[in-house]
Amino acid sequence: MTVLSVLAQLSGPPFESLPIDWHALAPEVVLLSVAVLITLVDSIGLERARPLMPGLAGLGLLGALIPVITLAVEGSDRVLFGGAYVVDDLSLLLKAVFLLSGYVIVLLSTNYIAEGDYWEGEYYNLLLFSLLGMVVMASARDLITIFVALELLSIPAYMLAAWRKGDRRSNEAGMKYLLMGVFASAVMLYGMSLVYGVTGTTLLEPIGLIFAEVGTASVITLGVIFVIIGFSFKVSAVPFHTWAPDTYEGAPTPVAAFLAVASKIAGFVALISLIYFGFLGQSDLIEPLLFILATLSMFVGNLIALRQTNIIRMLAYSGVAQAGFMLAPFAVAASDPETSLKAVVTYLVIYAAMNLGAFAVVIALARKTRSGEISSFGGAFQYAPALTVAMSVFLFSLAGIPPLGGWFAKFSVFAAVVNAGTTAGYVMAVIVAVNSVIALYYYAQVAKTMWMDPVPDGDMTPVGVPPSLGWAIVLTAALTLLFGVLPGLLGDVTDSFDLGHLELLAFPG
Amino acid sequence: MNGGVDAAYLVLGAVLFAIGAAGLLVRRNLLVMFMCVELMLNAVNVTFVAFASALGDIGGQVAVFFVLVVAASEVVVGLALIVAIMRRKPGATADDISLMKG
Amino acid sequence: MPNPLNELLRQYLTVAIFAGLGLAMVGAMLGVGWLLRPDRPEPQKYINYESGVDPLGVMWSQSQIRYYVFALLFVLFDVEAVFIFPWATRLEAYGAFGLIEMAVFIFILALGLVYAWRKGVLRWV
Repeated sequence: MTVLSVLAQLSGPPFESLPIDWHALAPEVVLLSVAVLITLVDSIGLERARPLMPGLAGLGLLGALIPVITLAVEGSDRVLFGGAYVVDDLSLLLKAVFLLSGYVIVLLSTNYIAEGDYWEGEYYNLLLFSLLGMVVMASARDLITIFVALELLSIPAYMLAAWRKGDRRSNEAGMKYLLMGVFASAVMLYGMSLVYGVTGTTLLEPIGLIFAEVGTASVITLGVIFVIIGFSFKVSAVPFHTWAPDTYEGAPTPVAAFLAVASKIAGFVALISLIYFGFLGQSDLIEPLLFILATLSMFVGNLIALRQTNIIRMLAYSGVAQAGFMLAPFAVAASDPETSLKAVVTYLVIYAAMNLGAFAVVIALARKTRSGEISSFGGAFQYAPALTVAMSVFLFSLAGIPPLGGWFAKFSVFAAVVNAGTTAGYVMAVIVAVNSVIALYYYAQVAKTMWMDPVPDGDMTPVGVPPSLGWAIVLTAALTLLFGVLPGLLGDVTDSFDLGHLELLAFPG
Repeated sequence: MNGGVDAAYLVLGAVLFAIGAAGLLVRRNLLVMFMCVELMLNAVNVTFVAFASALGDIGGQVAVFFVLVVAASEVVVGLALIVAIMRRKPGATADDISLMKG
Repeated sequence: MPNPLNELLRQYLTVAIFAGLGLAMVGAMLGVGWLLRPDRPEPQKYINYESGVDPLGVMWSQSQIRYYVFALLFVLFDVEAVFIFPWATRLEAYGAFGLIEMAVFIFILALGLVYAWRKGVLRWV
């Protein structure tokens, strides 16, 4: 008997090649190919290839959007890898949000990175790999897949935060983000190992059915709390938000925009998958837990944002508060699963447009003022009227003033918590309303500085906005207005979600 | 539920995890903090493998593979960051990376 | 009828053949080296080998930072091998599909090495 035939016998039954739905995986494949291509071009061309990088990355992201659109037009749900990976309307919408946010980030980065004497090929390569992780996250319905997607999107982000290698503040930003991030993923993983131990599977669907049946148990409670705490770091919910302001301030501003928008949304996408597809049966646990996280995030974020003098730090704390608004519907997740899920998704989409826009205007204005202090933007209306109008649109949208997109986002959240009809829901509605008013104060304060205050140094030369940055601002402003004026557009998309399983998980038997 | 699992492994995992978490929060040396993270991740691995062998399910062992690889990637990025920080300020501890105050 | 003891010994024969082949290969390589190399003994050549650095002074000296980059690269590529071992145990069963999958995996890994090489990380200066 030869050694090889012994090995063949040991290796068990013949392996059947998995049927792989390449159409469903096309967005990921395109994104991966472009990221690999960037590394290849960068390795071959070295310095000569630098100007190609932003274009290549932008085209790659738009190219990955094509299969997302064809999949959405075709419309059927596709389940891959035994239920670990699901491509449905919900995940396609989120993939489109990630890809478009990535495209806007590339537009924001083009001049910032090219003029800063930084490494370009690596920057866009890491950006694309991080976005690949997010796109995978949108479809992940399995604990291991969620974990791998989370790390794929986080590890490049740690490096991007420390991108200005010679600057101690950027090093510090990367280090704080990394330490917090790895701590959070360790906590989350421990929670996952407990959930796996209790249910015997890593797939969310059977976990959901088991959790709906068994009721509470101490191991389940511990596991679920650890997993949710792990993702609270990612979405910078209070009390796990401490890394966010420092990291945003020290990181290059386009990276701060990336972390504040794409990375935060990815954390929420993971929470949506985990809670609405897995943990919904444990309503006695998740509803109070997320109620506390949402309330703390809104109050602490808003109150600290009030006294910030640096615009990036203000946006960081306002982002903490925005995370609170997005967590609010989770507090009624089990009482009214369908409405609250749609409210979260609506808020995520609109938040991406308006917050990216605010960062884009800050990057444009900082090209002239060379400062992040809010006071340095005084009188911006006199030399940059278009930017000031755009910034006002984004700020008032973040505050939730009609007819801007943020209004519809806040309205959806408000409607969802009221609609649930629980006491916690009504209390949450009051908290959301109070915090909307607090937030309006500091957003309006920035707008007032830009419109009314005198120019600090009297320098009235207009701001040179590069075309890519201008296009990013136009795009985000148009989307912010569109979602506010025609909220039905987004409503039609969220209404097409296939959410039949929610009733089964939330109200078993 | 987890009938066959030996509680000793789970206790070991929990204790290792707690030591790692406490170390990360208490120690100020950046390298030691990374070692604590490794400890936490390996505690997770012990728990996963204990459950996987008790359940007779391969899923937990697959998870360990990914945790191992991810831990290595995280530590490589972290060490590179430590080198970048040490070049500016030799002998830096966690107290030195506080130019910005949350 | 095969004797179980014989069967066991026969299996150990494979091990013995492998061990013998291994020893023969090492011996052959050292032997060929001994035959071909020039023989010029110098005192410096008898000092313990320490990665090209003179083994002098205290042990707690600081090591060069450039070792660090190699160590980081090593850790990454070393750990990635964890995915290759389970694949290798079922190589025949996976067939062409598995081969292509692994080729893609190794291509992406190798690309990392090509990148490091082109960016001058591997240069010892």
